[in-house]
Amino acid sequence: MLPFLKILVRNIIKGPATEAFPFGDTFTPKRLRGRAELNPERCLACGICSHVCAGGAIAMTESADGRGMEFRLWHNTCTFCGLCEHYCPANAITMTNDWHLSHEQSEKYTCCEVQFVEYPVCKRCGKRMLPHLHQRLAKGLVGAVNTAEIMQICPDCRRLTSAMQQIKSKTCFSTDRSNS
Amino acid sequence: MATYSIPVGPLHVALEEPMYFRVDIEGETVKGLEISAGHVHRGMESLALQRNYFQNITLTERLCSLCSNSHPCTYCMAVENVAGIDIPERARYLRVMADEIKRLASNLFNVGIMAHTIGFNSLFMHVMEIREQAQDIKEGVYGNRMDLAANCIGGVKYDLDDGIESFLRTQLEEMKRPLDEIYQIYAKDPLITARTKGIGILPKKDAVRLGVVGPVARGSGIAYDVRDKAPYSAYDQLSFTVQTEEAADVRSRALVRLREAMDAISLMEQCLERMPKGPTVPDCLPEIPPGQSVARSEAPRGELIYYLKSDGTDRPQRLKWRVPTYMNWEALHAMMHNCKISDIPLIINSIDPCISCTER
Ligand code: SF4
Ligand code: SF4
Repeated sequence: MLPFLKILVRNIIKGPATEAFPFGDTFTPKRLRGRAELNPERCLACGICSHVCAGGAIAMTESADGRGMEFRLWHNTCTFCGLCEHYCPANAITMTNDWHLSHEQSEKYTCCEVQFVEYPVCKRCGKRMLPHLHQRLAKGLVGAVNTAEIMQICPDCRRLTSAMQQIKSKTCFSTDRSNS
Repeated sequence: MATYSIPVGPLHVALEEPMYFRVDIEGETVKGLEISAGHVHRGMESLALQRNYFQNITLTERLCSLCSNSHPCTYCMAVENVAGIDIPERARYLRVMADEIKRLASNLFNVGIMAHTIGFNSLFMHVMEIREQAQDIKEGVYGNRMDLAANCIGGVKYDLDDGIESFLRTQLEEMKRPLDEIYQIYAKDPLITARTKGIGILPKKDAVRLGVVGPVARGSGIAYDVRDKAPYSAYDQLSFTVQTEEAADVRSRALVRLREAMDAISLMEQCLERMPKGPTVPDCLPEIPPGQSVARSEAPRGELIYYLKSDGTDRPQRLKWRVPTYMNWEALHAMMHNCKISDIPLIINSIDPCISCTER
């Protein structure tokens, strides 16, 4: 017992090592993986986040009117692994360091991150389309035609534009590389 | 003298996880032992086949809480082997760091529980308080106290910046002295030695015969460590000694674990010194061709092996793991032979059993 006595006395003088929580404050590191959050402005509705999610916590449902997509992340199913954040190509998901997720039993079906990702409208025909082209453009992947124009039209109209361009030009090239 | 059988477990005050032991007793002495498992079987090998390669990173991390980094790390190594992916240089060091912080915390937890089993609760609390610094590192650098979520296929998901690096250095520095101090206590304290010296002996001959791994093997004088025998990540660039003890008892296994915890600090410091700048993940998603591969690593409890068979789809066709505790169970027969009833929990704890990964 003797060698430990010194440590014991030191620990007694030092006082409790535990934190005062819940009666006092506690420290939360900046990098803590807590409640996930979606920025609908950035989301491309690409679905990679729900593809990598082991818990199956992310559900993406297209709205009946085709106006966009409802993104629903169930906090109670989430394992806080951060894979969605890591693989999201648009940095739309963030694991915040907020860990205050306790809630009443009656709220168990609403304890979700719910966001609506609105699909952009085709400038020409008014149809809704997936927002993934923005991203591609940002990466310079579609560069053959007038980018400002193509960003605002849907794939059908893009095909038309492309066909018209090809009629005009001698060389054939495809402008829609969104699947590549 | 009368012989009778007593049950230990599956729920028992001294066992942290469920396992059933039927012990045949003659007086106070153990004469026979029967171990039966299966209380926490969760069918994870089957679950892994129903999930794609990405989801399995998270699933394998949930196999076991104490070796939680070794599993996804070895799984990713197996996937990288089949896909022929070379991970970036910086990621190699970051993987070592994640592995070693887990080893540090896991080994401290085990020797802490040993003190608790002996009834030396003030020492147990003290060790857990030192371990708390390792937990702070995990939370501050990785974002969680147990599941680091450090790995992904082709590299690691996290990186260090200047602030985090200096935080790491201070925390590691602060742990050195208390660790030296408790090492002396575990080595010399009369109370600890009285309960651990000469208890649960696993002679080297039996250790070889039973194929035990990790600190159990090294505590019996077998210098076998995957980090040394088949270096992965950046272990070939770092220097450390394979810790061994010759007495082959409960005490030697605890001392091996404590020295490995100290080595873990030195390994992390070496990583901080030598880590090159650069990317931590490849910038494209991996393609997994059909094939088979094996990967192994040194988890805190010993050699961990992953076998992967892929068929070119996005899910593994077969994923199988051989966990260290599986090899160490059988050694309990040798260790407990003729031991006293009161030493049973101590001996079981000395193999640092992880039932959740053995039964998955
Ligand atoms: S952009 Fe990110 S958040 Fe949106 S669907 Fe893709 S992965 Fe999910
Ligand atoms: S953190 Fe992990 S479990 Fe949670 S939503 Fe993201 S991928 Fe799914």
